[in-house]
This record gives sequence, structure tokens and C-alpha cells, in this order.
Amino acid sequence: MNELNDEKLRELLRGAIAPVADTNLKHDLWPQMLRKLDEQTVRASWLDWALIALLPLWFVVFPEVIPALLYHL
Amino acid sequence: MNKHLYLRAYLAGIALPTMFLLIGLTVFIVARFVYHVPAPIERLLVFPMALVPNLWGAWNMLYARLGAGRRLPLGIHGAVLFLLLAPVGLMLAKTLDILIVTSVLAFILTVSPIALIVYYLAWKHIVGFFNRLLNVA
Repeated sequence: MNELNDEKLRELLRGAIAPVADTNLKHDLWPQMLRKLDEQTVRASWLDWALIALLPLWFVVFPEVIPALLYHL
Repeated sequence: MNKHLYLRAYLAGIALPTMFLLIGLTVFIVARFVYHVPAPIERLLVFPMALVPNLWGAWNMLYARLGAGRRLPLGIHGAVLFLLLAPVGLMLAKTLDILIVTSVLAFILTVSPIALIVYYLAWKHIVGFFNRLLNVA
């Protein structure tokens, strides 16, 4: 591709892609994210706790399941 | 934050397996190259590295797509994914000659129940957390 074609291509690209105006952030987004994280609360039911308690028991009885489980995560 | 729902759902879905992969990869590399454990790491990583995170992302996109009226609770929705992943994982393990279980029956009886529980809890609490954080559901 010669220089003339390069210039033409540049012009075409410039024409096709509109310039992005005002890319600066209006404010810091991190405090907003921290607020959102604080709002999140994890509520586990009795069933969830029972299932969580079952996990180590299962791993003790069937230790061979650990690699197979890790393989699927 | 109302734009790009499916992108947010995908990111929320892949977050957990991607984080877990870093830990798993580190353990495998240390075991293989430091302690010289004869594990076929290259073959082992194909499924958890290439397929699992992407399918978690895609599955969460489906959850977002189904909408409030038609979808199952998130924990159940996630547990169903294991039922789809398990045959693929087993088939791949067999094809790549990786011994993860002694038989399919042993897999169904010992691995499946606990994997369903882990998937249920992970999706309900961790993917659910990311979904709420990113306003997916």
C-alpha cells in the first residue's frame, strides 16, 4: 500500500469514527462502589448452613472427590 | 448503569471461576515444577481454564435474559449448570486420558452430590453478590 492510499485510508477512518467528546470522568467512582459494597449483605438460610457444614464431612469421607470437584470449578 | 446488561451478566458470571483459576493454577504449577508431582497440567487445565469460566458467564447471561418471571432461583439455576458441565468434563477427561474418577458410577454417587451443593452455594451467594453489585438481577 503506498503513501497516498494510507492517507486516504486515514481520512476514511476519521470520517467513519466520530470523535469522542468529553471522555473525562465527572467524579471519582470508587466511593460509589464502596457504598454499594457496604449495602450488600449475605443472608444464608438454615439449609445453606447445613449444606456448608456437609462439605468438610463429605471431603473427609470421600477425599478422592476433591480433584474431580476442582476440575469442574 | 442500565446499559450492556449481557456484558455485565457475563462479567459477574466469570468472576468467581476466573479468581479460582488463579489459585488452582498456582497450586498446580508449584506442585508440578517445584515438587515434581507427575500431573498432566497442560491437559488438566483445558477444561477449567477454557470452558468453565466462559460457560459460567454465558449461563449468567441466560439468567439475565430469562427475566424475573421465567427464571429459577439463582442457586438452582447454577446447580443445573453442573449437570450440563459434568458430562462434557468427563468426556474431555476421558479423551485427554486424565484420571479424575475411577468410574462414571463413582462420579455420580460421590462427586455429583457435593458438586451440586458447591455450585448451588457459589451461585446463590457469590454470583448473586456480583449480580447485585452490577445490577444484573
